[in-house]
Parts: sequence; C-alpha cells; structure tokens
Amino acid sequence: MPMAPLPEFSSSVKLKYVKLGYQYLVNNFVTLLFIPVMAAVYLELVRMGPEEIVGLWRSLHIDLIQILCSFFVIVFAAAVYLTSRPQPVYLMDYACFKPPITCRVPFATFLEHTRLISSDEKSVRFQMRILERSGLGEETCLPPAIHYIPPRPTMEASRAEAQLVIFSAIDDLVRKTGLKPKDIDILVVNCSLFSPTPSLSAMIINKYKLRSNVRSFNLSGMGCSAGLISIDLARDLLQVHRSSNALVISTEIITPNFYGGNQRSMLLPNCLFRMGAAAILLSNRRRDARRAKYRLVHVVRTHKGADDRAYRCVYQEEDAEGLPGISLSKDLMAIAGEALKSNITTIGPLVLPMSEQLLFFLTLVGRKLINPKWKPYIPDFKLAFEHFCIHAGGRAVIDELQKNLELSAEHVEASRMTLHRFGNTSSSSLWYELNYIESKGRMRRGDRVWQIGFGSGFKCNSAVWKCLRTVKSPVDGPWSDCIDRYPVDIPEVVKL
Amino acid sequence: MELLWTISATLLLCSLLSILWKEFDRRRNRNCYLLDYVCYKPSDDRKLSTELCSDVIARNKRLSVSDYKFLLKVVVNSGISEETYGPRSIIEGREECPTHDDCVDEVDDCMHRTLDELFLRTGISPIDVDVLVVNVSMFAPSPSLTSRIINRYRMREDVNTFSLAGMGCSASPIAIDLVNNIFKTRKRTLAVVVTSESIAPNWYCGTDKSMMLGNCLFRSGGCSFMLTNDPSLKHRAKMSLKCLVRAHLGADDDAYSCAIQREDAEGRVGFHLSKSLPKAAVLAFAENLQRLAPKVLPVGELALYVLRGLRHRLWRSKEARTDAATAARVNFKSGVDHFCLHTGGAAVIDAVGRALGLTKYDVEPARMTLHRWGNTSVSSLWYVLGYMEAKKRLRRKDRVLMLSFGAGFKCNSCLWEVLRDLNDGGAWEDCIRAYPQQTLVNPFMEKFGWVKEA
Repeated sequence: MPMAPLPEFSSSVKLKYVKLGYQYLVNNFVTLLFIPVMAAVYLELVRMGPEEIVGLWRSLHIDLIQILCSFFVIVFAAAVYLTSRPQPVYLMDYACFKPPITCRVPFATFLEHTRLISSDEKSVRFQMRILERSGLGEETCLPPAIHYIPPRPTMEASRAEAQLVIFSAIDDLVRKTGLKPKDIDILVVNCSLFSPTPSLSAMIINKYKLRSNVRSFNLSGMGCSAGLISIDLARDLLQVHRSSNALVISTEIITPNFYGGNQRSMLLPNCLFRMGAAAILLSNRRRDARRAKYRLVHVVRTHKGADDRAYRCVYQEEDAEGLPGISLSKDLMAIAGEALKSNITTIGPLVLPMSEQLLFFLTLVGRKLINPKWKPYIPDFKLAFEHFCIHAGGRAVIDELQKNLELSAEHVEASRMTLHRFGNTSSSSLWYELNYIESKGRMRRGDRVWQIGFGSGFKCNSAVWKCLRTVKSPVDGPWSDCIDRYPVDIPEVVKL
Repeated sequence: MELLWTISATLLLCSLLSILWKEFDRRRNRNCYLLDYVCYKPSDDRKLSTELCSDVIARNKRLSVSDYKFLLKVVVNSGISEETYGPRSIIEGREECPTHDDCVDEVDDCMHRTLDELFLRTGISPIDVDVLVVNVSMFAPSPSLTSRIINRYRMREDVNTFSLAGMGCSASPIAIDLVNNIFKTRKRTLAVVVTSESIAPNWYCGTDKSMMLGNCLFRSGGCSFMLTNDPSLKHRAKMSLKCLVRAHLGADDDAYSCAIQREDAEGRVGFHLSKSLPKAAVLAFAENLQRLAPKVLPVGELALYVLRGLRHRLWRSKEARTDAATAARVNFKSGVDHFCLHTGGAAVIDAVGRALGLTKYDVEPARMTLHRWGNTSVSSLWYVLGYMEAKKRLRRKDRVLMLSFGAGFKCNSCLWEVLRDLNDGGAWEDCIRAYPQQTLVNPFMEKFGWVKEA
C-alpha cells in the first residue's frame, strides 16, 4: 500500500490557514488599520486628562451657529449622495406554479406513451436511456394535451396550458402579497416557444383587468435564460419610473413543442422539459423595503452568439421528415462552460471580496509576465455567495458547473432536487430552486444568492440577490407538501 | 472660526454644483435620437401581380364560389397595387406547407438587407452596438432572431438583446419605448431595432371568412433603424423623440378578442379579425389621444378645447347640434405637422384622418404607402415616413406623429421632432416621381371589377 501523502496533507492544512489569514487580512484591511489608530487616540486622550480636553475644546472658539452650519452641510452632502444612487429594486415575493397530480408523468407512463406514439423502437430505447440518467424523478408533470395518445398540440390547448400555469402562479402571488392588479405598472412576460398574437402579456392584461397605461413587454425565443433577461428589463424600467412595481412572469409552454419524430438530438427536450411557471413581483418603493424579501444587486448578461458553435448548440429546425423540433448539440457542456467563464469574468470583480480579486489579479500578472505555466486561479465564489441557484437544465449541466466552480454537494442540492421533483421547467427553474432553499429554512438575512441561467443563443445570464429578512419555514410554495422528503439520493442510473 | 466657515461654504457650493451637474447631465444624455432608418425593399421577383393573387386564391380548393367572390372583393377594395411583395413560399406554391427554412429565410432576407445598408449608411460598426431589439410578431424561433443577428454580424458578448413577439401591428412604438427606457439608465448607448412581420408561416388555408382577410391584406416589409442617446452623434441624427404614449385596452374582453390568432372550426390556425374591431380601435384611439393631447398640443389649443367643451356643456340645450365630436374637436394640426398613420387598410386610414381632421395632403403618405407596399404591419409607419422624406416634406423643427393600432387591443403613438432637413429617397427612390397617383386605378378592379356587382 503506498504511503499516505501525509506531508502533503499537513502542508495543505497549513496552506488552508495561511489562506484564511490572508483573506481576513485583505478583506478587513481598513478595520485593521482603524483599530490601532483609535487605540492611539484613546491613549492620548486618557493621558491628557479631562481638564486639558475641555481646555482644548474651548480654544477652538466654536459657537452654536457654526456647529449648526457644519451639521446642515454634512446632512445636505449626505442627502445629495443618497439621492444620486440608483433606485433599489426589491423583490417583494414570488410564486411558483404547482402542477396538479393529474398531470404527473412517471417514467412508466412516459415510456408507455412513447411506445404507443412512436414507430421506431430504437428511439424509444434511446429515450429510456436518457430518462435513466436524467436525474428526473417520478413526479414531474406534462400538460394535459400531451397526455393524449397521440398528443393534441392545438393552439387552444397551448393557450389553455398558458392560462393554467400563469394564472395559478399570479393568483398565488396576489394571495401572498395582497397585490391589486390595478396597481401593476410594468408587466414583462417571457415564454420562449409559444408566442400567440395577441401576446401572453395581453392575455394577462385581459384576465386581471390591468390598467390601460401598463407598460407591457413580451419576450419570446430567448431560451431558458430568459427569466433573467426579463428581470434585467424590469430593473431598467424601474430605474426610470419612480414609485412603481413590476410583475415578471417566466414560463415555458410545452404543448406546441413536443417532438413527434425520431431524430435523437431532438428527442432530448421531450425527456427533460416539464411544465412550470413563476410570477415575481418587483418594486422600487423605499417603503416596500421593510416587507421585501430580496434586493437585486447585479444582473450580468453574456451572449456567445458570435461564435458559430455556440450559436448552433440549441437550434430549432426540421428533421429529415419535416417535423420541427429543437436539437441539442453534443458540445453543449463545453459551450456552457465557456459561456460561464465569460460571465464570471464580468461578475467576479463586482461580487468577489478583495482577497480573491487580488489573488486572481496577481496570478494573472504572474502568468503573463513570469511563467505562463502557472495554473489559472479560479476564484472561490463560495466566499461571495451563500446560495447558488443553477438552472436545472439537466444533470450534466449541474455536474459541469459544480466542477467548474468547485461547489460542494449542498450548494447544488437545490438545483438537483428541483430537477428531480419538477424536471427542467426552463426559465422558471431558478425560482423553484430559490423556493427550495427557503423551504429548507436556510435563507437568512444578509445571505447572497447567485442565480445562473443558460439558454439558446448561446447565453449565460446571472443575477445576484441579497436577502433582506430571514425567511421562516414552513414556506408556502410548490415544495410545501414534499420538502420533508428531500434531499433524496439520486443514483447515477435508475434502472427502468 | 474662519476655517470652519470656509469649509462649510465650500462644501455647500460643491453640493449645489454637483446637483446642477447631475441634472444637466441627465437631460443631456437621456434624449433618444434616430440616427437613420432603412426600409426593406425585396427583390422584384417577389412582386404580387393580379394574376399571381388570383392563382393563389384559386389554389385553395376548399373555397366555395361565394368565398372566391368575397376574397376578390376584399382585394379589389383594398387600395393595394401590383407593386407589393409577398414571401417566396407563397409565390412558389408552398403557402399551405411552408418549411422552417422558408420562414427563416423570409425574415433573414429582410434583416440582412436592411441591416447591411444601415451599417453602411451610418458608418457604425456592428461591434459598437449596445442594445438590439427585434420585433416580429408571428414568428419566434429558437435561438431567437436577435441571436441570428448577433451570429451574423459577430456582435459583442455584452450586447443587451430583446426579442419581442406577439405584440401585433403596433409593436414599433413598443420597441422604441423599450430602448428609450434603457437610454434613461445608461450613457452613450447605441441601439439597433429591427421590425418586420412574418407571413410565410401564417398563411390561412381554411374557409372562415374572418380569417381570410389577413391573407389578402398583409404584405412583406420591414425596417431597421438605429437609435442613440449619445449627444455627440446628435448632429448626424435625423429626428429626436419627444414623447410616447401607449394605450392597452386588453382589459376589455371584446377588445382583446377582436384580433386574435386562433384555430377555426376545423382546427386550422388563422388570424381572426372580428366585426367589433372598428369599435375597439375607436376606444383605444380615444384613450391614446386623451393622454397624448396634453403632451403634444400647445397650451393655447388645449385652452381652446377646454373652453369649447365648457361652451358645449353650458349651451347644450340651446345648441342645435348635440354631436359631441363636432362640437368640441381638438385640432391636432396645431401641434403636429406630419402624420404617419398605420396602413391597416383604406378604411382605417380614412377613419383616422376624419377623426383627426386631416386633409388629403396629410393622409397622402399613408394612402400611397398602402398602394405601393400594402399593409406591412409593424413597419408600415417607416414606409410612410420614407414617403414624406422622399417627397422632401420633412424640414427642421417639423413635428411628426406616428400612430398605430394592433392586436391586444393597443393604440400606440410617438412624436418626433425633425433635427435637420431630410431628403433621402430610401426605399421610395425609384418610384417617388410616380407619386402621388392621381387616380388609384386598382389593377384588380379592372380584372375583377365584375365582382362588385355580382
């Protein structure tokens, strides 16, 4: 048996403490400088004695008017500074659609349906293998129209699904926040693969009788990362319009997009995409800060469309028989990794503590000037965030990100469990994951959350939120009846 | 202490100066300038002649004789010439089963031609674009059309893209609203907006009359335009945005369902235009004008309107005419010099013209655009603007009002101020001399005029 690498172990432990010490030193530099200075001043004051201090004060000849003037000026300068800051954007609350049990698609049902619909045994077995390794559970849901044999993807059924998922989520949100539909100033809806005319935003305006001067926008075709694009747009609008609130709806409508052919690259979405929707209420009123759950800190968007490989990675096209579907290329993981790296390069300086940035900068300089063989330093994002919501695009995506960002199993637990319980609900998955973290009672005041979404294009978008009040469990949401069963152990391969 | 006074005074002065500077900076950097716009001119082999139109109609074997007559009547009364364009899939006989490639090619052709020319004319490189908005109502593939553009022109990674879909014929002002809001949060930003409509995937092949209108009226068209809030580019800009008003009547069920994409009784998808559409249009129009008038009209005109209204109400019993519309009408021409009306159809243009009190000269650009290009949906406003520019009507300090209607039901408007004398021919370059056509002899009338009596 080879000798255990004990020397390495002890040196790595020492290294760990050195690193900790270094982080404390750099991040609290100003405080560390402040303490000796204050100590010196205090000692000096003690040495001088009370009479000398009073004498010193009197010698300054300050009278009341001057004190008031300087006080007024300081207050004025502070007010100028405060009013020039950008408007904060608060997340009041959000609600996720909880699919009814009748829409459940256990593996057995899915395979039985596929066998009855498809003529090709090979593609049935291919889908079975995908399901086995997918990380999905037995409780994911598909819309009613897809349960028919063969599926009935009519426009009416698509609208019905949209109404079911969106209206349920909004009704939940209204109940939780006491929001009056007439008070909504901005409405942003994103649904990638279904865009009827009039739009889904018009459908919401019609159902909830919103005002005629509501600013509505309907984004479509923007993929699984479109939820964060909607948040970005809502944030820009809230910067311009004072004392307003915004309702953001993120969803994906599955009905019209079930692929009926046999091309393998196009069968993957059938296996992974499931029903879901989220409704989010944002506000920029300062008085709402007390009731708000989170504050939006940053949104960073990266688009890799200029690179052909990235652009073709998730592509809607027709197969050889003319059946439309979305094909996923084999390069998806590599491209996701590259897109993430670009996104991190922008978001890193905004969120990482000084210690990490300095290390990264020094390693970069070292690689460029001293020795290009130095390993690039991967900043430790666990220092910047307490919680991670990674888009539950598929097991491979979560694995890849866990490896790239060096995250522990607990950090990616929300993503894995959401994929297991709800499947890939596209742009709304980030909100199911956030709800999981809250339901587990892990969300404390001051915690920072990083939401990362990937989507066709190829885009990688991130949002950073800061928690404003500890969220007490039990939490009302899609996890309320099953959170105690989680986390579950998801085997590599589920034998079917 | 003197020192304290000096410090206080300096701090106060600095604070005041910083506030003033922030205000000034905010106003300077938040204007929305239109640098240029390019209207799409498809190749001539895509023109829809009378022969072609009647062939296409005849190809639908499900139609009865009365259906043929109805369609021909619509075409004859449409005010559209033989110079309008259609998508290749329809011309080549594939209107009932267009492939995904057909649909993508149709939009690609429009986007690429217009964007190539736009970048060439403005001399701005695609790398410098910060915001990209595409709005095509009835076609939203994955990856989005914005991604197609980013891929083709190799734009930067941090471009903010927005792909609007499903927002109907009045989506142009919506895209401008989006960009305008972004301009107010960032400095020195350059935005490119592409508006078009997709006809190939939306051909209706059933027999429901309310859905066949779309087939007859919509034509291929599109426009790309570039906006910026950079004050250093102001000298090159054509127009500056003054105000924008959006009115959405979706809360009313009739208005919401008067223009809706749905399946007919046999399960074929089409765009249904109901009989309550004119009423919804009137309500949306009134709502929009109510909010637009105070922003657009001079104070004198507003005061006159209030006085007329009071007089009408006080002397109502003595007035022979109790028609409210004629008694207290606002004269929009006091605040607006040119009107870009959505070319929804001859009836729409006439109705809007009457409501606003416009003359034949004022509605001429819209009428001629309908004649030359047909109803190109979202981009129609830009063809109308192009006509005015080609006719050299747009002079410095003129005010241009763009007004459009769309499914939802929405009425959106925006007011521009012209920054310098404009005289580009644009898409009208080769045919502007033939306009205005004194007699709009409809070629369809000659061939199918018998339908009117039948």
